[in-house]
Amino acid sequence: MQLARRQRRAGFMGLTPLIDMIFLLLLFFLLGSDFVTYGQSRLAPPRGTGGESSAAPPVVITLAATGALSWNGAPADEALLARETARLVAQNAEQMLVLMPAGEADIQQVTSVMDVLQGAGAQSITLERDVFDIDLADF
Amino acid sequence: MQLKDTRREIKTIDLLPLINVVFLLILFVLIAGRPSTNHPSGLEVARSEIEATHQGAALSVWLKQDDVFYLSDKQPVTLGELAHLVKEKGLAAQGLPLELIADRRAHAKQLLAFRRAMARAGVGEIRLKTEIIAAASN
Repeated sequence: MQLARRQRRAGFMGLTPLIDMIFLLLLFFLLGSDFVTYGQSRLAPPRGTGGESSAAPPVVITLAATGALSWNGAPADEALLARETARLVAQNAEQMLVLMPAGEADIQQVTSVMDVLQGAGAQSITLERDVFDIDLADF
Repeated sequence: MQLKDTRREIKTIDLLPLINVVFLLILFVLIAGRPSTNHPSGLEVARSEIEATHQGAALSVWLKQDDVFYLSDKQPVTLGELAHLVKEKGLAAQGLPLELIADRRAHAKQLLAFRRAMARAGVGEIRLKTEIIAAASN
């Protein structure tokens, strides 16, 4: 007697749920991820508040709301700031630089100037209010 | 006469390459991305070319474009309250830094006021969060 030989059929595995899940994972990671790299700028304490003190007199840099810069009172540009900062830092690594932005300058302008100073090697940058920009309402 | 059957045979699409590519995309996103930061909506931090590694701080304060300080998305705070909080948490006593996440369009007068108020409260270091951009080539 010949018995019919039953062949096992390979069961078909549905791939659709797998693909659905993978796409959901992809969406989750795409929406939940951030590709921006963040950094930070260090602000030293203001002078006279117990922060680091340097023997060398501090350099005063002013930043007007228009973006105009000055170095110890003389008009300056970013190239001069970088050059002079690098020269001073080479002599004294802890040279204090005081940045006095106008109150109406925006934070991006302040950060850009700090970038120039830090790029030239400055490690001690502090912010102070310009004496010509004091608001009497503060008193 | 027998005509040839011209019906198109339905072929199955091989899905394995698709799955492979999607897995590669997931891997890319996992490696290149990081969990998104919880900045309040609309806050754009200042851009910087200095690649200083961002480190967290004991307390983060937001300064939005409207020149108001916030502790959370909808919790405005005055500098006096912040100084009180710093003293209450003992941040100054422990020498812990503070982080300011400021909108790039906010005004420097608020940054100066924050710097001065926190110095009076005994905070030494303040970290201003920036978004690193590639340096412009000359």
